Amino acid sequence: MNEELDSQLSAMFDGELPPAECELLARRLSRDEQLKARWGRYAVIGASIRAERGVRLNADLARRVSAVVSKEPNIAVRFVERKAVRAAARWIRPVAGLGVAAGVATLSILWMRSQALNDTPVFAQAVAPDPSRVAPSTEPDSYVVPRPSPHSSLVPATQLANYVVAHSEFSSPVARRNLLSAFMTGETGTVGTSGVSEEGSEDVYDDAKNTAQ
Amino acid sequence: MSADVSDLSLVRRVQRGDKGAFDALVLKYQHKLVKLVMRYVRNPAEAEDIAQEAFIKAYRALPQFRGDSAFYTWLYRIAINSAKNAVVSRDRSPVDYDLDRNNPDESYDMQGRMKDSETPEGLVLTDEIRSTVNAAIEALPEDLRTAIVLRELEGLSYEEIAAAMDCPVGTVRSRIFRAREAIDRRLREVFEGGLGRAEELG
Repeated sequence: MNEELDSQLSAMFDGELPPAECELLARRLSRDEQLKARWGRYAVIGASIRAERGVRLNADLARRVSAVVSKEPNIAVRFVERKAVRAAARWIRPVAGLGVAAGVATLSILWMRSQALNDTPVFAQAVAPDPSRVAPSTEPDSYVVPRPSPHSSLVPATQLANYVVAHSEFSSPVARRNLLSAFMTGETGTVGTSGVSEEGSEDVYDDAKNTAQ
Repeated sequence: MSADVSDLSLVRRVQRGDKGAFDALVLKYQHKLVKLVMRYVRNPAEAEDIAQEAFIKAYRALPQFRGDSAFYTWLYRIAINSAKNAVVSRDRSPVDYDLDRNNPDESYDMQGRMKDSETPEGLVLTDEIRSTVNAAIEALPEDLRTAIVLRELEGLSYEEIAAAMDCPVGTVRSRIFRAREAIDRRLREVFEGGLGRAEELG
């Protein structure tokens, strides 16, 4: 037998042959019975050196396995099928992900639009009632001065200020000063953001008025 | 480089439908697998049966093997599970051997199931192989002996052997190959002349 081939076989047995050469030799090994027998003996030599039990050259076990495997259906079909499924899964997963994301986005947009549609008539009704139902005003048109809403502040400022003073030992001096100065400026009985909401409602009144005109 | 590369090229061939490549994998790992299974069962015949079952399970499961782990690691797990299952089922049915007394045919079958390694001839064969291999190793030149022993007994890679022996990797490859060839020649001489089983080699 070719010495170079045997040398390659020995290196392949040890997993020390370059992959490209391995491919070629694996093909030959699976078909060449003489080469396969040599390969089997290399395994026997290794097992003998390691003093493994039950080392035999007649390789009854290998023959029995080979006999069973030869009757088995070819696994190549199943392998190709699995490969195809895996390849499909590689494409399907991102596409499905995109689909789900698009669906969620569409639903969100639809929901937001429906919310906007539901809100608008109520808002319009509250702010700009039907002009035919409104009694004609005797007063001349003027800027609407917003009145402080009794519901705009959940907690009266004085009550909140008292609370902050009573618990001042748990807050930092800077935070305490900031809060108190906020109370001082919020004379109308509202604090913090409620002032902003009032300004906001003022804008809304003006807008509604402009729309009515 | 590792054994994974050569095993994987054989595995890929099996996955493409080349059953002959699976024979090469069985030939390479049968001894290791039997040794592994012998940790769970003491009877060599039973160990061989379990190893056979593990190989067949591995063959059937090969389409699922993706090569993320080494082939032997994967095969090892299958063999361990097969051995554990065999031990559990044997413990559940401990009356198997009682059947021998009542049924002579059954008893004959049990004897028939003895493998070559258990028979006197098989044991002689095993001893013959071992002594032949040992004698062949003793007869090797020092550099060849060191190379093959470091590879087979210590499991060193060619690169590690090259570092240990202070020589190029190519020289290690050549030394291991020549050592194997020398041992193989002695083995074939013994079996062709003595037991006449050379045709069954491998």
